[in-house]
Amino acid sequence: MKGRTPSPKIRELAQRLLAYEAASDNLSDSNMPTVLRVSEKLRRPLSTLVGSSGFRSLLARALTLAKAQVPGLSAVEIKPDGSLEGLHDLGNPGQSAEAGIMLTAQLLGLLVTFIGEGLMLSLVFDEWPEFRA
Amino acid sequence: MIPQDRVKINKLPTGVPGLDEILGGGLPEFSFNIIAGAPGCGKTTLAHQFIFANATPERPALYFTVLGEPALKMLRYQQQYTFFDASKLNRSVHFINLSQVLLERGLTGILEEITKEVEAANPGIVVVDSFRTVVRKVLENEVQIQGFVQQLGLLLTSWEATTFLIGEYVESELRDNPIFTVADGLFWLYQTVERNSVVRKLQIMKLRGQASVPGMHTFRITDHGLQAFSRTLGLAGRKNKAPGAKRLSMGIPELDEMLGGGIPEGDSLLIAGSSGTGKSLLATQFIAAGLREGQPGIVAVFEERPEEYAARATSFGLDLNTPMKDGNLEVIYLRPLDLSVDETMQEILDAIKKKGAKRLVIDSLAGFEMALAPGFRTDFRESLYRMIYSLTGIGVTILSTVEMEESFTELLFSTYSISFLTDDIIRLRYVEIEGQLRKVLMVVKMRRGAHSSDIREYEITSQGVIIGERLTGYDRLITGIPRLGDESAPKKSSSRRQAAER
Repeated sequence: MKGRTPSPKIRELAQRLLAYEAASDNLSDSNMPTVLRVSEKLRRPLSTLVGSSGFRSLLARALTLAKAQVPGLSAVEIKPDGSLEGLHDLGNPGQSAEAGIMLTAQLLGLLVTFIGEGLMLSLVFDEWPEFRA
Repeated sequence: MIPQDRVKINKLPTGVPGLDEILGGGLPEFSFNIIAGAPGCGKTTLAHQFIFANATPERPALYFTVLGEPALKMLRYQQQYTFFDASKLNRSVHFINLSQVLLERGLTGILEEITKEVEAANPGIVVVDSFRTVVRKVLENEVQIQGFVQQLGLLLTSWEATTFLIGEYVESELRDNPIFTVADGLFWLYQTVERNSVVRKLQIMKLRGQASVPGMHTFRITDHGLQAFSRTLGLAGRKNKAPGAKRLSMGIPELDEMLGGGIPEGDSLLIAGSSGTGKSLLATQFIAAGLREGQPGIVAVFEERPEEYAARATSFGLDLNTPMKDGNLEVIYLRPLDLSVDETMQEILDAIKKKGAKRLVIDSLAGFEMALAPGFRTDFRESLYRMIYSLTGIGVTILSTVEMEESFTELLFSTYSISFLTDDIIRLRYVEIEGQLRKVLMVVKMRRGAHSSDIREYEITSQGVIIGERLTGYDRLITGIPRLGDESAPKKSSSRRQAAER
């Protein structure tokens, strides 16, 4: 399947969001990959909006799109409850960071496609009130 | 009970232009309502207009989606409307998907989830879309549905929420349906395709606590959402103006004389005649006469554009461009082919209010009818009655033109059987005299006074319509093929222009 590259703007937003989340002082989540923490934080508002199965569908689509861009994500899967597994073994830190950015960017990009940038940002800011695009 | 002891029911604005008037002032606060109708008729959009018009961070709206249109798509499409305010999302308006809950835990789960969310958010508005899918799952168990609806109604009323349940219902389901029994308000939206036009109508089938305007009201969906057009044209309850003694000039002294001094103010005058007899010109002279007397006017045209209308007036020495620029005259061109009478009327009424117009020309009723969606044409006569009654009731004098198919055996007053709707009728017609096709006019009816019974010849000149003397010496003029009467009598009229030439 031919990949779809997220726009530079969305990619940059994903990159900054991951960096922001990584910098946040949350000891309980310290062993959890940052992309997983971001995905879990987005799960709540998105499940409210589209249901848990709707959230799983969106994440699955984002993962499929991301895998086409970053082959290193091929081992990552989505569990029936909508959580990601296989994120701990994404290669070196550079490859791991790129995989996280791509997956997050594809998820945010899907939201832009469906509901527009304004509403996507509104969802993001609700979860990360201090974060600004 | 004395009036001051009665509970006051607040009325909430619906956010739908025209609908508050139909509802009798707005939607009763804390009411439990159903919006029903076929797919695509605007139910969800109506609910969205209401929530965006009323939701606040303190009393937000909870919008529960259940096995219907996914919220993601709903947001995608609804944000195209101008009323959609993205800044209210997740602050004043919250979308909550309950599909999974319904599939896994049924009605009990739905009620528990709604209860949990309502108690947490203290909403002022709750919408369940689509409610139909909720009850369809347990369709065979009527008692269970009734119990669920009862509890839901009780919960939402107790929490002081104004509620909408949205569902795809057909009218045959109205009977013995417990949901409709519990509801305080029942909004039914209809959408039918007639020939190539879409006709949308709504009916307030039930509204507890206040008087709504009965019957079917047309509505349209535009970029701004729904806009409703009341059958009463927003003039319900308005005290009709008593007919005045004032007469309005037609701009032609001889015609004013035939009318007994002009058209009584607030009357509806019909000018009927076949093509080329000068109906539009008489209408233009009527408007121009009003403008000369400082009376703003509105002309609704269906067969030519405003600039063409003004240019044609100029060719008869009547300047309409200046009053149009000055704001004393508005020429409204109404040509879309799927209009309802009520939409047309709303546009005319808005123009009348804006200009403070005293005179209105509708040129022509045939064009008006053609501009309507086929489905509305069957109601044209009734709609025309409402329109004329409403406008003359606020003191506007209306001149309408109507095209007549010429018969040379009889004199018809109107093809629409609408003569009884009008106060006054002027009939124009062709007659064949001495190998010439000439024109005569007569005042057929004046409801509020005496009028001339003369049949007078007239001509259309570069100065407008010029009326001659009574055409004497002929019998059966009104058939169009007169025959010579008394040989000694004068055989033809002399128009004012001919008289002037002599």
